[in-house]
Amino acid sequence: MIEVKQLYFKYPTMKDYVLKNINIKIELGQIVAIMGSNGSGKTTLIKHFNGLLKPNEGYVKVFGKDTQDESVAALSRKVGLVFQNPDHQIFSDTVWNEVTFALKNFGFEEEVIKKRVKWALEFFNLIQYKDTSPLLLSGGEKKRLCLASILAWDPDYIVLDEPTVGQDFLQKEKLREVIKMLITRNKTVIIVSHDIEFIWLLQPRIILLSNGEVVKDDVCANVFKDDASIDKCGVIKPQFVELFDHLAPLLPHPPLDVLEARSTFLKLMKKGG
Amino acid sequence: MTPLIKFIDFNFSYLDSPTPILKNINLEIKEGEFVLLVGPSGCGKSTLLRCINGLIPHLYSGVYKGKVIVDGEQVSEKNISTLATKVGFVFQNPENQIFMFTVEKDIVFGLENIGVDKEEIGRRLEWALKILNIEHLRYRAPYELSDGQKQRVAIAGTLVMHPKILILDEPTSLLDPKTAYEFISTLKELNRSIGITIIVVEHRIDLLPKVADRMIVMDGGQIVFDGPFKDIIKEKNLHLYGVTVPPIISLQNTLSESGVNLPGYSLDVRSFSEMIKKEVFRND
Amino acid sequence: MFWIAEGLIYRRQDSVFHTIDPRIKLLISMMLFFLSLVSSTIVEFSIILVLIFFIGALSKTLKRMVRTFVFSLSFLAMIFVINILVGYDIMFSIIISLRFISVVSSTSIFFLTSSPDELELVMKSFYLPYDLIFAFVTAVRFVPVIMLDAIQILDSQRSRGLEIEKGNFIKRIKNYIPVLIPLIVQAIIRSEELAEAMESRAYGFSKKKTSYYSLHLRKRDYFAATVAICFMIVFIYAIYFLHI
Repeated sequence: MIEVKQLYFKYPTMKDYVLKNINIKIELGQIVAIMGSNGSGKTTLIKHFNGLLKPNEGYVKVFGKDTQDESVAALSRKVGLVFQNPDHQIFSDTVWNEVTFALKNFGFEEEVIKKRVKWALEFFNLIQYKDTSPLLLSGGEKKRLCLASILAWDPDYIVLDEPTVGQDFLQKEKLREVIKMLITRNKTVIIVSHDIEFIWLLQPRIILLSNGEVVKDDVCANVFKDDASIDKCGVIKPQFVELFDHLAPLLPHPPLDVLEARSTFLKLMKKGG
Repeated sequence: MTPLIKFIDFNFSYLDSPTPILKNINLEIKEGEFVLLVGPSGCGKSTLLRCINGLIPHLYSGVYKGKVIVDGEQVSEKNISTLATKVGFVFQNPENQIFMFTVEKDIVFGLENIGVDKEEIGRRLEWALKILNIEHLRYRAPYELSDGQKQRVAIAGTLVMHPKILILDEPTSLLDPKTAYEFISTLKELNRSIGITIIVVEHRIDLLPKVADRMIVMDGGQIVFDGPFKDIIKEKNLHLYGVTVPPIISLQNTLSESGVNLPGYSLDVRSFSEMIKKEVFRND
Repeated sequence: MFWIAEGLIYRRQDSVFHTIDPRIKLLISMMLFFLSLVSSTIVEFSIILVLIFFIGALSKTLKRMVRTFVFSLSFLAMIFVINILVGYDIMFSIIISLRFISVVSSTSIFFLTSSPDELELVMKSFYLPYDLIFAFVTAVRFVPVIMLDAIQILDSQRSRGLEIEKGNFIKRIKNYIPVLIPLIVQAIIRSEELAEAMESRAYGFSKKKTSYYSLHLRKRDYFAATVAICFMIVFIYAIYFLHI
């Protein structure tokens, strides 16, 4: 479990706190979306989850251990962070070695490394590139490689910073499948994202941030009911929530996806006709 | 009316790659159009844009066949600086297109380069600051700006050149939804008020239904769909071309596949809801 | 997020000294620099340092100026100790240390009170080639951006178990490879994007490039320059002819 209690944080030379009085608990087996406008502190917050940043006040505990007392490497074993820009991490000569990097750092056995890397590359359809330079991959492939290089060591928490930026529809579908699969294995996926329709399809718990403070922390359906909060955080409503607002008496609840919407409307039309 | 941009039997491949990146492109874009260009990553859309403002073939060379004509002149025969006064280009990452230490200095950068006199620079600067609503940012440094503000500054820096065409390559991908929405509205405003032709590559199509006139879908270096936005967005297999179709439009597509005859086709949630209410209550 | 680059960048401040023409600020800075080189007694250094601190106070940059040489204190100590070890007497070592302080702080006067924009104008007024000026300007402009890249890259690799301080000397150097390679790749990507953006805004057209900004000397600038030059003449006269 990740437990954040009364966390305050500011960068050394700055006057104002970037994060103020954050209190959250994130259990295993959840999808959590962190949303908010640019500069609201989302990335600063996730960097606390594996100890890259340490609180000025309050604490962050990962499986009961205070991040102040643990190394980033030890925490990362449990909490894997995938940052937005793949070019910020890719450095190896081959795709294969890019994925082995972390496993070697964590001291896995040679045999285990081979098995894990093979699994990860196959899972993300990258195995055919194992001997090519990762710099030659397309943008979407690079993003998948970064995810593969983190999933290979099997962390309990997977934190994704803007995973859908620059991704086309099919790549996003694949990502959604991966997230669903991780949840069935009792992992927790934490997503920082602006992609509202993508988030709506996942129906996660949403933490809304504004100016370094948690404005709302609730299930997806409830968060999008709160007009004032989402507006404050630079978020707009998913289309199906807006649809529900317009047609409230006709619909039981905002449709979760197109298929559900279709059957609701088909029923509605039949009743009408 | 002669088209503002015209591709005639155009083919292009980069020097280091054996496969052509653009194949047999024939395309006409009229003055004042607002064009949305989409397609999966690697489909050639960025390359196409770079052929319009002359980065291809002037900065990137390759095998260049056919013609690209912008405002009556062949791109390959004009130098890139002359083209800069016809075509403004705003890139995905705002950080890398602001060179100077203050917004004001950055906006006048292009004008100084083409040798506009001081008084005219002053006039155009004031105009651009005003039209993009960034007067308050005038003396700020780039690191004091948010990403949304940087994108506005980038547009201002190209608008002062009085281009006829404004090209934007995924301009909102780093912006939060509300800021992205405001940004796209600003583009539409510009399109209406000064009649500038806009071509935008954008993944977030849900932002654009009320904005774009025309939609072009590319795949494998070719144009696969081209037509009015409201017609193309109805195409069944758009998702196969990497397009994320807005849910409200997917819904209408699947309903009509299931044999429902909707009285019309709505591009946004509000008008769809109105339509449904009428339909259901009329039948009641 | 730009906290790390804070110390490197000019901060906009309002003071009488900031509004002086950058060429005059450069003149004053260079003059004090020159005097620091020719001075050789504690009295002379005291005068120079008092003057530098006075300008620091006037331009509200005293705190940052002091911070600069608190930062270089270890270096200063080293100079002092080496001088003693080599066999110079304490007096001489003190003089050398004082010279170091005044050289460093006199140059910082210009950089703490002039924006990079002003620096660009100064370079233009010396008729340096525009390509050179532009290269300089963008280099300074992108320092904080590249610093942030470096931090982000370091964070990414630490999140993949890289422990940069771990291991023996050779291992530690090797530890930097996963940080350096993405940093270089990122810099190349940036420079390509920059080139595109520059071309798209008619950079290099320049047959008759105009300049929207220019420097004009005003009364107060002439005044400041006169005071500075008079001071220098008096000071040198005092050193060499009056042997103070």
